[in-house]
Amino acid sequence: MRFRGGYNILLEGKPERQIAVMPEPDALYLPLRSRRFVFSELYVKDGERVNGGDILAKDPDNYAVPLLAPRAGRVQLKEKEGHIVLEEVAKLQERADMAEEELEHIEREMGAGGIKRYKLLALGAWQFFYDAYTGALPDPLGTPQAIIVSTVSLEPFVARGDAQLHKRLLNFTRGLEQLQSLLEYQPIYLVMPDIESEFANLVRNHIRGYAWVKMLEIPLTYPYDDFAILARKLGLKRSDGSVWAVRAEGVLATDRALTLTKPCTVRIISIGGTGVNSPTHVKVMPGYPMKDIRDKYVSEPAARLINGGILTGELLGAETLGVDAECRGLTILPELQERELFGFARPGWDRSCYAVCFLSSLRGKFRERFTTAMRGEGRPCISCNFCEEVCPAGIMPHLIHKYLYRDLIEEADEARVDLCVECGLCSYVCPSKIDLRKQLIDAKVLIEQEKEEIRQEQLRQEEARKQSVEEKSE
Amino acid sequence: MKGLLKVFEAIRPSFEQGGKLRVFKPVFEALDEAFFAPSATTVTAPHVRDPLDVKRFMAMVVIALFPCVLAAFYFFGLRFAVMILVSYAAGGAVEVVFAMVRKENINEGFLVTGMLFPLILPPTLPLWMVGLGVAFGVFIGKELFGGTGRNVFNPALVGRCFLALAYPAKMSASWLGPGNGLTGRLFEYAGASAVDSLSSATPLAMAKQGQFIGLREMFLGNISGSAGETSAIAIILGGVFLLLTRVASWRTVASILGSFVLLAGALHYAQPGTFGPVLWHLCAGGLLFGAFFMATDPVTSPITNTGKWFYGIIIGSVTVLIRNFTGYVEGVTFAILLGNIVAPILDEIVVGVRIRRLRSEG
Repeated sequence: MRFRGGYNILLEGKPERQIAVMPEPDALYLPLRSRRFVFSELYVKDGERVNGGDILAKDPDNYAVPLLAPRAGRVQLKEKEGHIVLEEVAKLQERADMAEEELEHIEREMGAGGIKRYKLLALGAWQFFYDAYTGALPDPLGTPQAIIVSTVSLEPFVARGDAQLHKRLLNFTRGLEQLQSLLEYQPIYLVMPDIESEFANLVRNHIRGYAWVKMLEIPLTYPYDDFAILARKLGLKRSDGSVWAVRAEGVLATDRALTLTKPCTVRIISIGGTGVNSPTHVKVMPGYPMKDIRDKYVSEPAARLINGGILTGELLGAETLGVDAECRGLTILPELQERELFGFARPGWDRSCYAVCFLSSLRGKFRERFTTAMRGEGRPCISCNFCEEVCPAGIMPHLIHKYLYRDLIEEADEARVDLCVECGLCSYVCPSKIDLRKQLIDAKVLIEQEKEEIRQEQLRQEEARKQSVEEKSE
Repeated sequence: MKGLLKVFEAIRPSFEQGGKLRVFKPVFEALDEAFFAPSATTVTAPHVRDPLDVKRFMAMVVIALFPCVLAAFYFFGLRFAVMILVSYAAGGAVEVVFAMVRKENINEGFLVTGMLFPLILPPTLPLWMVGLGVAFGVFIGKELFGGTGRNVFNPALVGRCFLALAYPAKMSASWLGPGNGLTGRLFEYAGASAVDSLSSATPLAMAKQGQFIGLREMFLGNISGSAGETSAIAIILGGVFLLLTRVASWRTVASILGSFVLLAGALHYAQPGTFGPVLWHLCAGGLLFGAFFMATDPVTSPITNTGKWFYGIIIGSVTVLIRNFTGYVEGVTFAILLGNIVAPILDEIVVGVRIRRLRSEG
């Protein structure tokens, strides 16, 4: 298996492997939006008391994936815009099991296989699953052609697999077995950085005799852990059905939901980046107050909080008060403070550059103190080809950029802009500071819309033709 | 330096929309950005950016030209400094005027063009020709196409080509015998009066008469020729630096030199009396300079790596053909310009193949 492109940005502030436990909060601020979900259907009333594991809201567009109450408390709906606030939070007994009659009802409706899928969805484990090609939430009732389980997270900085799996080997292998029980004969691909390592051998010993788990070694270069790239490398064709993809934390959640029948409300997230005083992993629940995290970890006065990694994460504004339901890590980056004198002419001992244009190239690997600076002026493309070299999807960002500049949407579609995995490396390396990632994403959305419109139009014409035929026959 | 920043901030409003000096906004911005790194920050993901920008990218080429510039000073004297000044002034003026008319930023590309141009000229060429040539090159070769990044031809070569066609007599008679000894011509200002047509014929011109200059002289640069192209060692030093920094593509250089060596070698092997030896041809004239500094210009060479191989092969073999089978003594300029013409087509073909292959993906 050969990978192309890829590049590791060495950013200062790599999180330690150990997991810090945050103090219990007084109130939880659960955002109603996360990366994939909008929890618009509320299931609780203002002032209502809920128990840990109760459903607060659901996302009707995503197979009714629920937002669970991580703790017991009293619901406040109106206090903060876009959030469900849980006050008087107490670590009461979590809802130990689902209601018996509810489960019986489901079992009658859907059978034994259905009940597992229902549990996954209702207990909050399903939101750890991704469709490998689109990154969206897969259909919980569908059957995939394969499942990709990745134990590596390479983007700086999101919670790493080794931190997630630390001392939880047994849960992990049990989770794998649970995953397999959802399938018929389809394979599970287990992606690891080193299939000869001690950990890999332990896993292999635990799952000995299970032919359905295939181990796969990938180099630790961003973004080879991307599910779409892995699926393409494994030769899984999109037309052969969906591919589920899940990370280590998802396997652990599966184990928790199916073996213990307990809600999965605690996540391990990373806190890293240049603006953090002691980068680490922390165990938090969704809704954990952002202010507490900020006070404890952010050392820079003017810092940007990013939900996710440095390359694909989203800006966390002051209006977001708590950790959202899908958060995998917080990256904190100092804002650009002052303009550097003769910035472009400096020897650059402390700059790590993709091309070898700074003195630091003589220095070996080191982690750079990045800020949010653009570090250059926007210029027309100079055709340096760096974006194509670095692109892991094998497309040509510069070419698509030039097509889009001239409004040639059809050509951009032909150049397979849809294969873009949105890793952000092309924007990162571009010396002309062109925001290629955004342009490519916008083009993807536009093309998808246009194709959808054409499909609708064809459907309408089909309808009309049928109707006219019927009228004639009458 | 805080003071300077304050001065910039204080006078900024008069260059903005509605200010008195708004016509000169590109000039102000160029100065401002040259002194201080831009204040822009990232808006969306990715939140960090690579430290390399176009200024640095172009500055690397200028740095790589240092050995050649020093060699030019040593062999051809202080007049070369004046040529650089004239070249920058004339080329910069065209660039600035166009930036003001188009209300765009001044592009860094002319930093390279202004430096490359005097290096490929005969060292005693009248200064007004230097200015005219670079102005023509920047105007026709670059600005008419829309500025750096959109040009088809290498502007410095367009300028040289123009001079070679418009003033052939001056262009072929302005050579100067190189300086010798410890200081060379470092403290001399050698103008047109110093030209001695006997001692200053270029190696390629002499070869047409059957005289071959020694390889050692050509390697060190102790020969007559364009200001920056004589010293093979200086060019290789700078060129290797440029390849290591990945500003220039090694594929282009390798394919130019490779195809050149193969073809020239084959000719020499077939008829050693008529065609010069390979190493001699390699060091003669502007081949090395063109291969390392001219053909590798990312804008005018093909983008795709496969395209670069074919581009180099075309340049290398056309150079051999022009040198050996036409009336011109030197063919690198025309070969690279021809390569520039072919580059978009090569890209088109390679991209077509790639897209056809991509179609079956996923």
